Amino acid sequence: MIQTINLQKLFATEEVETTALNGINMEVKDGEFVAIMGPSGCGKSTLLNILGLLDNPSEGEYNFYGTEVAKMTERQRAQLRKGSIGFVFQSFNLIDELTVYENVELPLLYLKTPADERKKRVEEALERMSIMHRRNHFPQQLSGGQQQRTAIARAVVAKPKLILADEPTGNLDSKNGEEVMKLLGELNEEGTTIIMVTHSPYDAGFAHRIVNLFDGKVVTENFHV
Amino acid sequence: MLRNYLKIAVRSLLKHKLYSSINVFGLALGMACSLLIGLWVRDELSYDRFLPNAEAIHFVRVNFPTQAGDTVTNSVTPGPLQEAIAQDVPEIASVTKINYGPELLIKVGEKAAKEKGHFATDDFFGVFDLPTLYGNPKAALHQTNQIVITRKVAEKFFPNGQAVGKTLQLDNDKFYVVGAVIDNLPANSTLQFDWLVNWKVQEQDWMKKWGNNSFYTYVRLKPHTTVAQAQAALSRIYPRFAGKNFETARPTLQPITDLHLYSEYKNGKSVGGRIGYVAVFSIVALFILLIACINFMNLATARSATRAKEVGVRKVVGAMRSALVGQFLSESILTSLLAAILAIGMVWSVLSTFNEVFSKQLTLNIAEPALWLILIGLVLITGFLSGSYPALFLSSLQPIKTLKGRLQFGSGPALFRRVLVVFQFSLSIFLIVGMLAIGKQMNYLRTKNLGLDRENVVYVPLEGEIAQPKKVEAFRQEVMRKPAVASATTTMSLPVNIQSSSGDLTWPGKDPKLETNVSCMFVGSDFIKTLNIKLLDGRDFRNGSLADSTSYLVNEAAAKLMGVKNPVGKEVSFWPGKGQVIGLMKDFHINSLHQAITPLILCFDTRNTSYLLVKTHAGQTQQAIADLEQLSKEFNPNYPFNYHFLDEEYESLYRSEQVVNKLINYFGALAILISCLGLFALAAFTAEQRTKEIGVRKVLGASVSNIVGLLSKDFLKLVVIALVLASPLAWWALSTWLDTFAYQTPLSWWLFGAAGILAVVIAFLTVSYQSIKAATMNPVTSLRSE
Repeated sequence: MIQTINLQKLFATEEVETTALNGINMEVKDGEFVAIMGPSGCGKSTLLNILGLLDNPSEGEYNFYGTEVAKMTERQRAQLRKGSIGFVFQSFNLIDELTVYENVELPLLYLKTPADERKKRVEEALERMSIMHRRNHFPQQLSGGQQQRTAIARAVVAKPKLILADEPTGNLDSKNGEEVMKLLGELNEEGTTIIMVTHSPYDAGFAHRIVNLFDGKVVTENFHV
Repeated sequence: MLRNYLKIAVRSLLKHKLYSSINVFGLALGMACSLLIGLWVRDELSYDRFLPNAEAIHFVRVNFPTQAGDTVTNSVTPGPLQEAIAQDVPEIASVTKINYGPELLIKVGEKAAKEKGHFATDDFFGVFDLPTLYGNPKAALHQTNQIVITRKVAEKFFPNGQAVGKTLQLDNDKFYVVGAVIDNLPANSTLQFDWLVNWKVQEQDWMKKWGNNSFYTYVRLKPHTTVAQAQAALSRIYPRFAGKNFETARPTLQPITDLHLYSEYKNGKSVGGRIGYVAVFSIVALFILLIACINFMNLATARSATRAKEVGVRKVVGAMRSALVGQFLSESILTSLLAAILAIGMVWSVLSTFNEVFSKQLTLNIAEPALWLILIGLVLITGFLSGSYPALFLSSLQPIKTLKGRLQFGSGPALFRRVLVVFQFSLSIFLIVGMLAIGKQMNYLRTKNLGLDRENVVYVPLEGEIAQPKKVEAFRQEVMRKPAVASATTTMSLPVNIQSSSGDLTWPGKDPKLETNVSCMFVGSDFIKTLNIKLLDGRDFRNGSLADSTSYLVNEAAAKLMGVKNPVGKEVSFWPGKGQVIGLMKDFHINSLHQAITPLILCFDTRNTSYLLVKTHAGQTQQAIADLEQLSKEFNPNYPFNYHFLDEEYESLYRSEQVVNKLINYFGALAILISCLGLFALAAFTAEQRTKEIGVRKVLGASVSNIVGLLSKDFLKLVVIALVLASPLAWWALSTWLDTFAYQTPLSWWLFGAAGILAVVIAFLTVSYQSIKAATMNPVTSLRSE
């Protein structure tokens, strides 16, 4: 379970100070699927980055599965991030020099998973995302949907407890978008917690709960049944 | 994991072919240069270390304190010094002296060739325990009828087996039995000879005088004797044996392993020599490697924008910073490994040319473990040096920023790149100024008026029949009769590098405390005329005049030493005898221009001569040589004719400088080439980065020249800054070098101007290709690419 108390994030340049997050209190239970929505610049991505341990809040508390992480160093966060969080991005963020297989294998390499185990899990993930036939291709040789499926395979290969998705369908056509959302839904049904930032009300419909942000604050929370 | 790193590294090298090839090729060039210089330096440092017991062997020099309070150090020593040391210095195990090492004709049956050798005293092999192939060299050298030869001579004259016991004729004169064959001396030996004969065979009375310094003396210390102890014992020698005139002189020991590199002495102390060049080129090697590494760093940081996303992704999926540092370092090490392999190929292919140009016998022995250690070291050092900044910089990128494409590179990396380019071009400009200034000084040495003519002067070594006192003059007269010959004279040594000196000169009223270390030359008739030396007063030696055997000619410096303006007519006493100064010569150079003109005395001797110097009429040198050959065959049928040019002999004084000149030219050019490779790639990168800006500017009406100017300006600014930084440093370094010459060309401002213009032009040409390419691109394409 993850929980934030009065989370604040300020971005300061020499002349201006911008408040990106302004006292966010939020709780996500194990197995939940939460969508974060709101207009551009409301702080969605900033929140997701903090939740994903890619960034630290300026103030407030953040309890990540029983550990207080708000004041951790980059190194400590990286250590904690490893294997416990999977990321899916709007622009896929695959490494161009690596094949589909190698991209998916990457998190396991950093976790020092033994080779046999690695092979098994990568193939599992590729099968699961129906991308096995493209395993030896490079990202630039794939369609957008295939790239995103690869990215999701990479996010799940280490079997993380939490998947963070930042507009996962933003760069896809509706057909491919639908497919990706279905995959995320399935993962959630199998027990993975998912937090997703989206602009699309349709995509948000896959979530159990929608958190609406405005100017760095939670304005409403809607629960689906 | 390592496999993954390597995979990425290889694919990223292949993907960016231009950058990769520039990186690998530039680095390989840099490494090849460093490796070549490294081989050269290693060879220079290895001189005489092959000798068994090398650390105990020392070369003896003699320090003469002068009245001015400084000390003159002679590398040649008087003959009796060796006997005195053998008698009186128990700290010394063995001592030997050798003469200068003439090339004499060796004849066996019909076969004849000139070979260099020494007359050496009995204990030569006590000092130098050289590897013996056959016979007993020690015992052989004790006999006056035996000769020790090297394998080379043995194989040449006795190709069908055993040389020991066979007879050969030396100098068309005496016959010697081969007593022993020793191995050839390696190229890195300061001793170079192919035969040795007992000293006594050629000993003459003048060789037994303390006043004459002409021979090389070597000693081997007893075990457990320190140099200081031996030195203290040696200081007794002159006061005890040499007589009143020389009691202040002191022998000084130099380890033989220092002889090659530390040959210059000032005030009785070694002040360096070739070691200076070795140091300079070690630094140059480092510079070149650094320049190549800078290319790598520059391109890697410049390209970091394209790698930033990868860093972000890796961090997000769990890479720790250390893993990323490891990844980028292994990439740079892989690149430098590739470069090293290429570098070995480069060195391999140019080594024979390099050896030819620099008269070396360097080898690249793949089986040598030291080479591998050096190579692995080079790969790791280069890899770390060139990969460290990109590794640290790239691994520090924030993942969220890189992934969102929001990465704003601050001025940090761009500034760093500029600093590196400035540094790189400073080094290049430094080398260009060095090339120009050294070239200028070399030209000055070649063309300076020395006070004597060396153009159109041919010399013939006198040997065999024409060396006979009775025939020398007849031969000279015949030569002078030829229409192509302007004049001819005989001398005992060539007037280019006079090492002989004497402390014997006295005159009535001379202050007894005044040390008179005077250079001396023995010359025959028409010396002044042949070399066109200006006679300020008095006359030249008179042809065939017996009275002139105790007459002397002196130069202005000698007159100054004697304290008179015009010494003509003055009574003097020198070791050939009491006599008169009959002429005063304008000062002329008898040594390299490293040395100032010293007092010189000419003695008349038509009997003991070594060379015939022939001045030919301009344009008739070939005819004169043909005449000389024909006369030589008539007068001296048993000897092959050979001749040399005096100006070539003079230029050989600057062999070290010529080597330096060549080295700096080649490696300077390579350093500039490597810098340009880097600049070229950087310009390509900049043009790529600014594609959109260029498109917008063109849409708004900018011309091609506007754009070229825009893109080139930034780089040229850096080159100008580099010029400003490099100039004072180059000025200082070159002044220091020029100070080693007593006569030097000034470091003119135009050298720096020319270097600057050259650097700017080279940089502009390098950058402009990319600038023009970017500027002529269709703006629609450049805008669409965004």
